[in-house]
Amino acid sequence: MDKMSTVPPLARAYEGLRPKILQRLIELRSSLDPVLARLDEAAARAQVGAVLEHLGNFLATGDLGMHRAFLHTLLAMRAAEAQSPAAVLAMLVAIGDTAAQVAQEEGGGTAEGAELTLLLTRVTASTARAVNDLIADQLERRAQSWGQIAKRQGSAP
Amino acid sequence: MSGSGLRIAGDTHVGKVRSANEDALIVEPRLGLYAVLDGMGGANAGDVASQMARDAIREHVQQRRGALPPRKLLEAAIQAGSKTVYTGAQADRERHGMGTTVVACLVVDGTHLVVGHVGDSRAYLLRRGRLQALTRDHTIVEELVDRGLLSAEDAERHPYKNVLSRNLGSRPQTRVELAELELAAGDRILLCSDGLYGYASTEAIQYVLGSGDDPDQVCRDLIELALRGGGGDNVSTIVIETPQAPPTSTQVVRTTGASAWWQRRQRFLAVAKERGLTRSPMVRGLDPKEALELIALSLCQAVYHDLEKSTGVNVWTFAQNLAGGWFERGGGWAAVRGLIDILGMSAHAVVDEVRAADAKLGFLLDVAVSRALVVAELALGGLLAERLRQVDTDLIELQTLNEALEAPADELAETGERFVERPTIPFLQPERPVTNPGVSSEVLDGIHKTLTIARARTSPRGELVKQVLVALDAIASESGGSFATAVLSARELYGVRSVDDAGVQPLFDALDQARILTASSVHQLPASELTRARVLRAISTAHQRLVGATTGLVLEAVAPLSERLRGVQARTGELRDRVARAEQRRADLERRSATIVDPSLPWGARGTTEW
Repeated sequence: MDKMSTVPPLARAYEGLRPKILQRLIELRSSLDPVLARLDEAAARAQVGAVLEHLGNFLATGDLGMHRAFLHTLLAMRAAEAQSPAAVLAMLVAIGDTAAQVAQEEGGGTAEGAELTLLLTRVTASTARAVNDLIADQLERRAQSWGQIAKRQGSAP
Repeated sequence: MSGSGLRIAGDTHVGKVRSANEDALIVEPRLGLYAVLDGMGGANAGDVASQMARDAIREHVQQRRGALPPRKLLEAAIQAGSKTVYTGAQADRERHGMGTTVVACLVVDGTHLVVGHVGDSRAYLLRRGRLQALTRDHTIVEELVDRGLLSAEDAERHPYKNVLSRNLGSRPQTRVELAELELAAGDRILLCSDGLYGYASTEAIQYVLGSGDDPDQVCRDLIELALRGGGGDNVSTIVIETPQAPPTSTQVVRTTGASAWWQRRQRFLAVAKERGLTRSPMVRGLDPKEALELIALSLCQAVYHDLEKSTGVNVWTFAQNLAGGWFERGGGWAAVRGLIDILGMSAHAVVDEVRAADAKLGFLLDVAVSRALVVAELALGGLLAERLRQVDTDLIELQTLNEALEAPADELAETGERFVERPTIPFLQPERPVTNPGVSSEVLDGIHKTLTIARARTSPRGELVKQVLVALDAIASESGGSFATAVLSARELYGVRSVDDAGVQPLFDALDQARILTASSVHQLPASELTRARVLRAISTAHQRLVGATTGLVLEAVAPLSERLRGVQARTGELRDRVARAEQRRADLERRSATIVDPSLPWGARGTTEW
């Protein structure tokens, strides 16, 4: 008896396309991210592959909390490599755009291809939204720290 | 202008600061040859260098075309350019040290591209809306990054980021970096000097290049972009566009989608109002109708134009203006998030209605609107990240001040030391260990002899050059492998010079002349080729350290002036934004008054909308 898959069909379709998306991203990596541009292919493959894998998990589960946690970790890791959050955002959007583009090309005009393209574009939008909210959180915390230190010195505005 | 069905345009501008244009262009569709050259050097020789190299490269390609494969041909042509500039520099003392960068490409049969470059002029490829760099700058900072001594982020703000590691003219032969590419339909290639990317963001370049405008217009817009960004350097651009593929059904539907979107603008405004746009703190004080027009209708127009041209520049600008102005007035993020969410949900509501009537059109519109929201988030992300960087900087300054105030008095007394002892530029830390495999006594002897020969060849009036050569001797002979000697030598050479008189330029000229003299003197050294190479390498490293250390001193000296400049630039930015807001308001009022139609008037005399 066939086991019924619990993975949504679009997430399955994405998994099928993942190697092609990864290959396209590796070819484009010089424009994606200065950090990736300087890595050798194997290392870049591992890093981009990790983002694509997470994207697959998000498509399969729709778990926004997990998505946000992943983005939080990614921002922190890249900050440790002196990457600005804007650069991380640009990289994530480039990955989402490329995934949507590959889905559109490979979909061959099918309804499933179109739906996957749309889903990936919407996921990119929600990713960008979540990243900005995370940056804004950081900004608020730093501004508070600034206020506290300034107050201690008696120079608060 | 066209060649092999390509559409090509090139343009150059002196910029807002420089008095002369030292850039040069080659646009030769007949040869399939295109190049941007950025000249440099004292005594007004920069333009001479770029023009000499330009002519030599063009002539070489013209004469050897067909005799060499394209890759070899381009490499040989650039080498010919280097040799010509080098010879010209040697022949005329006034032109010593002149040089030029080059980024050149040969288009073969309209389908194949060979790119060659030396220095920091760049080539980009825009394919399917995505911008890729085809070249990597030949700068000392890039090499430090490659060696893992500097992070990519630090490199962007590094004071030496423009110091080239190679160019045409400093020696007869140079290393040319080459790349090849198969062209695809609709590709756009951009060649440019640092006057473009130094004053315009990559995102902005991508959006202008990705607009549907013809290459002539794109070149003009790119230059305008650099000028708006300050125009601190000569700026040159060449845009090459391969023929577009026949319009696909997607493109046809996209145009239809733009019309469908615009036809539903009133519905979009109504949904935005229902969802509370007029209650947003960002439009407080505005009449509801006015708020809807200023915010929702502006976004509607931006989406329409971006859909039509398949770009994102209008939505980007909308989001930047909206949030930028709000942040400047001290507004917080929550209001921006709330307003963008209202606009996004309203847009999706309209798209759902289109989808119910026409599934295919609705799908494309859905993708396009989602994409527009991504672009808006990108613009907002840029603003937030910049604010975060500013707060971080303030926080560090405040924390440092705090620590200083809390420090005991005897520690405070020690803070009066000079910057040379306590450098602020990490690259210059005297205690920083430098990889130094050590030098043999044979090489040490060679260093000393070479610099003695160079000193003997220095003109009697070249006292400063002699001092530089002595300093190089000390740095190159040093076996400790630290920057300390370089920093101390630089300090000695720098002496009491200041940046606001003629004190600095002769020093850099002397550094350059010392480099040229040393390079030619090493050939007179009675030693094996290998030893000569090692000697030259050691002196070259010493020279780089000395230039770096000297530049550091100059940078420290100009820091207060830079601060003032930044303040003036910030004020200029504020004023520019106020003008932009005033213009926006005027345009809105004009449009509103233009839509008031008096039915009693004959048709031709009635007001009309812009649509």
